[in-house]
Order: sequence, then C-alpha cells, then structure tokens
Amino acid sequence: MSDAEPRAGDSISRRRFLLRSALAAGGMALGSGLTSACGRGAGGRTLRISNWPLYIDGRTVADFERATGIRTEYTEDINDNAEFFARISEPLRRGQSIDRDIIILTDWTAGRLIELGYVAPLIPGKFPHKTNLLDDLTQVDFDPGRRYSVPWLSGMTGIGYNPEKTGRELTGVEDLFDPRLKGQVTMLTEMRDTLGLVMLGMGRDPARCTRADVEAAAARVKQARERGQIRKFTGNDYAEDLAAGNIAAALAWSGDIQGLAADNPGLRWLAPAEGAILYSDNMMIPKSSDRQDLAMAWMDYVYDPRHSARIVAGAPYLSPVKGAAAELARIAPELASSPLVNPPAELRARLHVFRTLSDAEATDYNRIFQDAIGA
Amino acid sequence: MGGSDSHRRSRLAPYLLVAPGILWLLAFFVAPLVILASTSVGQGGAWYETYGLALGRYGPHFLRSFRYALAATLLALVLGYPLAYFIAFRAGRLRYPFLGLVILPFFVTFLVRTFAWKTILGDGGPAVWLLQRLHLLGAHGRLLDTSIAVVGGLTYTFLPFMVLPVYASLEKLDRRLVEAAEDLYATPGAAFRRVVLPLSLPGVFAGSLLTFIPAAGDFINAQLLGSPNQQMLGTVIQNQFLDVRDYPLAAALSFVLMALITVVVLAYARLLGTEELA
Repeated sequence: MSDAEPRAGDSISRRRFLLRSALAAGGMALGSGLTSACGRGAGGRTLRISNWPLYIDGRTVADFERATGIRTEYTEDINDNAEFFARISEPLRRGQSIDRDIIILTDWTAGRLIELGYVAPLIPGKFPHKTNLLDDLTQVDFDPGRRYSVPWLSGMTGIGYNPEKTGRELTGVEDLFDPRLKGQVTMLTEMRDTLGLVMLGMGRDPARCTRADVEAAAARVKQARERGQIRKFTGNDYAEDLAAGNIAAALAWSGDIQGLAADNPGLRWLAPAEGAILYSDNMMIPKSSDRQDLAMAWMDYVYDPRHSARIVAGAPYLSPVKGAAAELARIAPELASSPLVNPPAELRARLHVFRTLSDAEATDYNRIFQDAIGA
Repeated sequence: MGGSDSHRRSRLAPYLLVAPGILWLLAFFVAPLVILASTSVGQGGAWYETYGLALGRYGPHFLRSFRYALAATLLALVLGYPLAYFIAFRAGRLRYPFLGLVILPFFVTFLVRTFAWKTILGDGGPAVWLLQRLHLLGAHGRLLDTSIAVVGGLTYTFLPFMVLPVYASLEKLDRRLVEAAEDLYATPGAAFRRVVLPLSLPGVFAGSLLTFIPAAGDFINAQLLGSPNQQMLGTVIQNQFLDVRDYPLAAALSFVLMALITVVVLAYARLLGTEELA
C-alpha cells in the first residue's frame, strides 16, 4: 500500500483544472479542430505539445523557453487515448498537420500510431540525451529500440480515494464493489486499465489474459454498472469528480492525486493488494509536423536528468530517465522516497502490464468492453 | 426582343434566388446523408444485421432518448409559456431587456454552461445542500449523474428555443380579440383558453419541435450530467463514431434516430393540426 504525500507546491487548483477539462471537452466536441496558433518566437516557430492533465510541473515549459528560445504551447487536451486517437487519425492518415509537434499517448496507442506510419523517426544526432533512457524501457515490442517514441513518464493505474467519503482505508480492487460505495465509484474508459485491474481483483493476470478473462471481467463491470455501483466511466476527468467530492473512489493514475492536493489534501492513491497496472505514456512526433527539430530539442531537454526530476517533482510519476532519481533526491528529498516515483521491490512485484493485443483482438475486446460500460 | 428577354429573366429569377439555398442543401445536407446511408449499409455484414443490432442492442437508448426529450419539452413548455406570456403581455417597457435575458445564456458556450451545472448539482454543491436541508433528498442522495440532472440539463439548454417562438406568436396576437372576448363576458380564464391559447398554438408547435428534436439527439448533457445508465442515443452515436469507430453501426443508429424523430414529428403535426408547418 502506498499513500501519496501531498505537496502543494506545484499543484494545480481545481478551478484551473475544471477550466482545462472544459477546454479539452470543447476540443472533443469540435472534433478534430485542434486549436491552431501561428508561431513567433526566436526560431519564428512555436513548438506545440499535447499532453494529459496533471502531468507536468509548473516551471519546465518556461525554463525550456528561456534555455532554448523556442516558444512553446503546452496544451493539456488529452483525456482518453481512444478519443484523442479518433481526433487525430483522419488528418494524420491524409498526411495533414494536426497542429501538434509532440503528442503523448499510452503504449498501445503509440504502437498503433507507429504501425500505421503516422510517426516521424527520431534522429539520434538531434536528441543526444536519448541515451539516458532506462534500459528496461528501451526494448518494447511496439517500438523495438525506441526509434519512434520515448516515454514521457511511466505510471501505475490503481485506486484514488477520499477517506472522508469512504469512511475507511481501502486495500484492494474488491473494495470498489462494496455496496456501501454504491454510486460513488468511477472506472476508466481505458479498457486495459479497467479490465486489467478488475481481472487482477479476480485473480487473473492481464499479462496473459484470454478472451474468457476479458469476458469475465467485463461481465463483472457490466453487472456493477447496471446495479448503479459505478457512477461513471471517465478519462482523466475522474480527477475533477474526486476533488469535488462527487465520488469516493476511482480507478486513478498514480501521480494525479498530488495535483489535486491543493483542493482536497485528504485524497489518497493506493496500489491495490491484488496488483496495479504499469504503463508508459510516450512522446511522439507526428510525421506531418513541420517542426520536428523543435520537438527533438524538447525531448532532449526533458531527457536531461535534472529536468526530468523537476517534472517529477510536480507530477509524481516514474521518470524514464537515468539519473533522475538522484536529482530528485537533491531537489525534493521528501518525494524521492515516495513509492509513487520510486516503487519499492515489493510494489514492483505487484505491477502488471496488459499484454499487447493483435488488431483483431483489440477490436473484439473493445466491443465487449464498450458493451460492459454501456457506451 | 428586349421585352421578352426581361420577361425570361423574371421567369428565371425565382430559380436563381433559390439556387444558392438548394445548392447549399445538396452539398451539405443531401450529399452527407447519402454518404451516411451508404456507410450504414456498406462494410462487413448485411445491412439488416447492422440495423438489427442498432435496434436490438440500443432499443433502451432509443426509448430513453425519447423519454428524456419528451420530459424536457414538457418542462420547457410549462416553464417557457408563462415566461413568454409575461414578456409579451405584462413586461411593458422591459420587454426587450427580458428577451435579452432569455438569450443571454447563448453568449456563454453550451459546454461551459453544462460544466457549470456539474458544479451546481455536484454532491457538495448548493443544490444538494438545499434539498437535503429541506429533506427532499436523503443523506446519501445525489443529483449529479441521475436522470433528473440530464432532463434538467436538457430543459435548461433548450428553454430559449421554446420561449422565443411562443413569445413571437403571442406578441403578434391581435389584442382586440381578447378585448372582444371580455366584452362578451368571458372570464380572463375563458378568454385565455378560447382565444389566446389557440392562437399561440403555432408558437407552441414550433417551440416543441425546436426543443424536442435537438434534445432527442443531444449527447453532451447525458455525457456530463448522467451516469452510464442515463446514456442517450446521441452519446452512443458519438462514441461509436469517435471511440469504437464502428462507422456502419453509428450511421445506422443515426438513420434510425432520424426516422423515429420524423415519425414523432409527423404524428405530432397531425395531432395539433398545424398544416402550414407539417
């Protein structure tokens, strides 16, 4: 079990978060119309980055701009992998610009984009710090040798909860099905996170799951949804309901809770006793971007261990950069020992990766999942 | 020569005048509709399988969409008619400021307004607090993510579409008819029932359609203010198009929704007998 030590320093207030969620949802409603902005700045062009909310500290963007002279537009408009993929895939297929130079998506979506040929290869000469990537993250099946993508941060999917509303400490996935929490639980629209954790709760392993496992987990979710146990299925917007006290517990990403501490310092994050899901979100440059140099300058900057540690200080996730842990111990010693950024061996042993699915499996399982969540 | 030329031109003029509109409709309504139709029957299994799935699996969503839209329309009528009546007959010089207030919410994005409702209706928000103090809501009761929130959101969103047409029909009503009714010893109630109400029916009809049709296809309110058990068809279509990317199913669902709305509207037109609109 691991509780997040809240640090108010780099957090984002709920009002700001709500506004961002509204803006992100606005983008969603408008379809693929990502905001476009004409760049000025030192090189004459602006670097445009899309990332998830609560995923960066408050200083890095400004520091990067100062250090490199590259004007940067950092937008937190990714709420859900499938939704964002749907927004960008049509223009990318046609080779059109999506007005973004870096997008940050979870392993399986990254794999899909790379396979479809929408991602530009990284040029080692323009990204010398790439060698700082941790060895165990270099060989991934969706991008062997990391030719197209590098992790932004890695995280764990577990349970975020509000002890005031649950009335007790939670310990595992099964707690989410406690009738006393009826209507106060949210799960994620990310199939691998939700089904993966429910499978773990049922004693099944998402790293080796079969269709039967998927069906069993989906049936469990569907039943809970129909009984009214699960209030909603969300993307990153669960954070807003959790902070506002609308829900007692949520499937939640490990580092988000700190960002909500300013509003609700009591919130906790828990790696369930049965296990948590481990994933990485990966930076990629769309092939249609005309500012790939700027994008690689950004990647190089954040792969400096000092800068990566700074990001982790504001968003306590796992840094993929060698030496970042030591830097973090220097700038934020109290956080460096947190299981959120440095999981102890006991926790690492409980982390599971959802296995890579073939296209046919992904479609099939997704259909089962969509039916379960009533979408 | 010149005479017949101008004659011909004047015969062509009406067509030239409607041409931009027709072309617009062809390009941006008929063509997409045809594409949508071909999507719904193409790809994968037979077309009746897709439509069968659309009706079979999403039957409850259809019913729910119509139920919510109907409830929202009735609520909008109950709230909107008195408001329109007040503005048309009693507001005097304040008529235009009041109309302005009705339209004012449009100056804020629909989405931001719906987000505001999330805060107002949230478990720790003012609405729940008040209702719990009044013992209208249990200690563990909630408003957000219930049908009440969704129907309320729909009503709020489309209320101006009810108020404005009703106001327009009341405003142009010949006041002398009401005076005549009073001269003939009609009570105010009778004058309203026999004169004002029937003459305002076209406004009610238009307002109901402008509320019902978009409400039945709305996807934002159900998504933001409802739980998965309150999802409406619009949400399903959006999700099928954008997340699941099952285009045939999404297109089939859109068509079934359109067909059902048309049937409902025609039945309603028959019932209310407003021929000029049907």
